[in-house]
Amino acid sequence: MLYKAFKLVFLFIFATVCHWGLATLFSFYGMSVNMMLVFAIAFCTVLPLEAGYPLVFLCGLFLDFFGTKLFGNNAFSFTVIACIIYALRERIDFERYLPQMVTVFLCTLIVGIINSILLIWFTSSSQWPGVLSLLGGAIIDGLFAPFVFGLARFALREESPMVVRR
Amino acid sequence: MIVIKKKIPQKRRPISIKSSFLFPTIFLALSFLLMILPLGGVVSSVKALLSYVFIPQVRVAHGAVKYAKGVHQTVRELLETHQQNLALQQELEMNHMLVTQAETVIRENERLTQILQLKPAKPWKGIWAKVAYREPSQWNTIIIDKGSADGIEERSAVLSVEDGKEGLAGIVVEVAEKTSKVLLVQDEDFSVAVTLEHGQEEGLLVGGGVHPVRIKYIPLQAQVQRGDKVYTSANSTLFPAGILVGYVRNVREDSSFQTAQTVEVVPLVRSAAVKELFVISSLRKGSR
Repeated sequence: MLYKAFKLVFLFIFATVCHWGLATLFSFYGMSVNMMLVFAIAFCTVLPLEAGYPLVFLCGLFLDFFGTKLFGNNAFSFTVIACIIYALRERIDFERYLPQMVTVFLCTLIVGIINSILLIWFTSSSQWPGVLSLLGGAIIDGLFAPFVFGLARFALREESPMVVRR
Repeated sequence: MIVIKKKIPQKRRPISIKSSFLFPTIFLALSFLLMILPLGGVVSSVKALLSYVFIPQVRVAHGAVKYAKGVHQTVRELLETHQQNLALQQELEMNHMLVTQAETVIRENERLTQILQLKPAKPWKGIWAKVAYREPSQWNTIIIDKGSADGIEERSAVLSVEDGKEGLAGIVVEVAEKTSKVLLVQDEDFSVAVTLEHGQEEGLLVGGGVHPVRIKYIPLQAQVQRGDKVYTSANSTLFPAGILVGYVRNVREDSSFQTAQTVEVVPLVRSAAVKELFVISSLRKGSR
């Protein structure tokens, strides 16, 4: 349990590094990449909901602490995404690359739209990144999804290989 | 004994309907409250703490981005260098061939010289020097950092390289122990016997100071064209023959009573661009 918690903390720190690094890198090309969301979705596909919801909420909250406009919008949108992923988890095979990429692509778009709506609603200010920026970011997120999902599965999933002796 | 590892898919615990509704409701409500409650002070404090804690990660991330951008540039430079390397290798092979051809020509030349009983041309020998000083009032005269201690003598020819070509730069007019004064081609006191690329006509090239460098005494019937190369003549007593001096810029046919045409020349070595110079030291009379 402690080992798993340690791995989770390490993954979270790695996620922050990836998020800042890739967000900075792709911001030069005008794309709003959200790697924290990719990690959050990957956590949802691997962890049970008792651990997944708090972790995803914290991921969103973490981004909120570094935001400037509205506090809590990322936590809200990430929680919505967690609801979607937990609802779809039994129906979609997240072991395959294509569902991973498509899900992350769509979720990035949904988060972008939810955040924009929340900002307009609560602060009456628009922070719409633009369709191309959002689409570009979603595509980049989708491309990174298999790597992040693989990493999360490798680090967090409990598989118990049974040794059969003949 | 055969050991077979068989992976059994993990059985997920059945999710109760209660918890599947409870968790999203709690966190959605909590995040909604965060958005509507006035938490400016608390948020600022936590933000400051988190910023302090996560500064190393931010640095790592930015360092990684910087490195990644550098890698792109380095790879590009590496590829360009590879291309240049290939081109240079080809050029080197070509040069090897040219050297072989040149050696053949030199041997043939030596043989013919011997047959014709001509005086053989000696290879140029000399030393490289740098411009040490340049007088603002006399832009066409320079002081170089080599003198009699280095083997430089008065009236030695001075060459320089411009645009990858070597050409006549001037002549040594004064020699001290550690320095020498060089009169450049553009100086109005400079003169040298020259020959044109086409034809056998010879003339006297004189510097013009602020005016263009020109060649005097070119016969009127000589066919001189713009862009023709101008070389030092074999009749020159001070300069070795065949040094490129410049290019013909203009041909002036002045008054009808004149017996020669005046040719304006653009020197290959510009006074303002002279930096390194080669002073020919071993050339003496009869050695051309």
